[in-house]
Amino acid sequence: MATLADSFLADLEELSDNEADSLNEDNGDAEQMEEDVDGDLADIEALNYDDLDSVSKLQKTQRYNDIMQKVEDALEKGSDISNQSIVLEDDPEYQLIVDCNALSVDIENEIVIIHNFIRDKYRLKFPELESLVHHPIDYARVVKKIGNEMDLTLVDLEGLLPSAIIMVISVTASTTSGKPLPDEVLQKTIDACDRALTLDSAKKKVLDFVESRMGYIAPNVSAIVGTAVAAKLMGTAGGLSALARMPACNVQLLGAKRKTLAGFSTANSQIHVGYLEQTEIFQSTPPTLRKRACRLLAAKSTLAARIDSIKGDSTGKVGRSLRDEILKKIEKWQEPPPAKQPKPLPVPDSEPKKKRGGRRLRKTKERYALTDMRKLANRMAFGVPEESSLGDGLGEGYGMLGQAGSGKLRVSAGPSKLSAKVAKKFKEKQYGSSGATSGLTSSLAFTPVQGIELSNPQALANQLGSGTQSTYFSETGTFSKIKRT
Amino acid sequence: MNYLLTTLTKKQEVDSMIRDTIDKVLVLCFGRASDSIFLQLDEILYKSVREVSKFATVALVDIDSDDVQVYVKYFDITLIPSTVFFFNAHHMKMDCGSADHTKWVGTFLRKQDFLDVVEAIYRGAMKGKLIVTCPLPPDRIPKFHLLYEDV
Repeated sequence: MATLADSFLADLEELSDNEADSLNEDNGDAEQMEEDVDGDLADIEALNYDDLDSVSKLQKTQRYNDIMQKVEDALEKGSDISNQSIVLEDDPEYQLIVDCNALSVDIENEIVIIHNFIRDKYRLKFPELESLVHHPIDYARVVKKIGNEMDLTLVDLEGLLPSAIIMVISVTASTTSGKPLPDEVLQKTIDACDRALTLDSAKKKVLDFVESRMGYIAPNVSAIVGTAVAAKLMGTAGGLSALARMPACNVQLLGAKRKTLAGFSTANSQIHVGYLEQTEIFQSTPPTLRKRACRLLAAKSTLAARIDSIKGDSTGKVGRSLRDEILKKIEKWQEPPPAKQPKPLPVPDSEPKKKRGGRRLRKTKERYALTDMRKLANRMAFGVPEESSLGDGLGEGYGMLGQAGSGKLRVSAGPSKLSAKVAKKFKEKQYGSSGATSGLTSSLAFTPVQGIELSNPQALANQLGSGTQSTYFSETGTFSKIKRT
Repeated sequence: MNYLLTTLTKKQEVDSMIRDTIDKVLVLCFGRASDSIFLQLDEILYKSVREVSKFATVALVDIDSDDVQVYVKYFDITLIPSTVFFFNAHHMKMDCGSADHTKWVGTFLRKQDFLDVVEAIYRGAMKGKLIVTCPLPPDRIPKFHLLYEDV
């Protein structure tokens, strides 16, 4: 686009032609559209960019004129019932319709090219207009109305555009940086506008014609979305078979307008809806369901288009049944949900409690686990009466705790995890004790057995684990007595 | 749409109800429609029928019908309303602190009380007990004096 900008600067200074390489892209498109082949690059460069005819050639082509003539004749004749017995491909009207479809696509492309042309020329006068009015036909109309006028209050744009945009245009025009165009340029621009408008009206005629014949071409699609929308869809797609080949998501977007925002307005611009917006079904659904309805419509109309493209159903019965289906579905969506009834209580004890596991649970259980001291106290040696707290068999029994010959003099309580918590709570009580052991402990113990028992340091080494490990079931133990018989 | 609790008037209906309720507590309330306390009870029962439906069935029995007098005599129903609990055709007794364990006399103060009682009956019955203790504190149990006639 830098070359284009340069070309305009050149235009401003001299208003001369050439720099035709900038219009290579435009012309390239135009070339494809036109029937006459003009592949010579030299020719393109020699083309006068000022001349409208060099840019848009469609109206001059034979094909265009032929088809327009036929369409006008057919429109005058009115709708005649075409014979279904003839194979539809041979029907001249069908061929005409196929041509019309192609032509409408061509006309649309042509309009875009002309729009570019007008825009480029009119930029000198009113550069902001192209960003305010996007639609090519509206742009052409506005340009024609304004002409070379500098004061927009003298120009009446009512009816051409929504009033909000008219206001914005008037405001922008008062501060525009454009200058009035020279007469010849103005004349060319007006010519281009006229041509765009005639092309637009031609397209309308073509569409009307197709629409009137729509009932015979695609009865099923027309049954669902209506003949007008069906004609538009077919026209934009480029034929019935092209429409049938499209996936439904594309059909939904056929004809979708780009958002035209005047200022910050975001109202009334439906996203992702094309021509289907104009169907009766769509208009009658509540706004919340419109998105879903559009998808449904697109899907069913694609199915109908596929049936029509192979002429599977010429009476339109399938189309009507699809339409009924769509209406029924939309009805169902609007039903209120069933009333909520209070849930009955579950049967008591029917759901087992979920047991948790893991390290945390194990740690908390450890605090209440059976300690070694308690294990020893629970056991008793055979034939040996246990000591008890109150003496003589009264009170709590001590079991194996502190028994002579157990190898341990004292079973220390060990760090009780339960007491750690208790200790944390009542810290004041700890302040009393001064050290880990009191000064009265000794390594000697007085046992019920007469005498003094000294601890055997070797015994500790020999023992595996605490005295709680049973030697009867010990894995490393040996036979205690083997008798030879 | 269930607008009413099942009302039983014939002995045969009561019989079939008791026999056919399997693995669910059967709550039979004896009373007459003109009694205000019975109506209060009826209100609470109606609200809780759906909630308790998975482990209990509720039915009302009209005392004034002739057919049912057999049951009235058997359960010794004198005060209205009286509620008798069954589970799998066994009569479930409940110790509420009053002298009579075979039935519940009067209405429930709250819906939750009724639910608690039914749950206690259910748990006891599933364990195989025929008599359970009432889970309600004594202040929530309506007090009635048992009058002995000709004793």
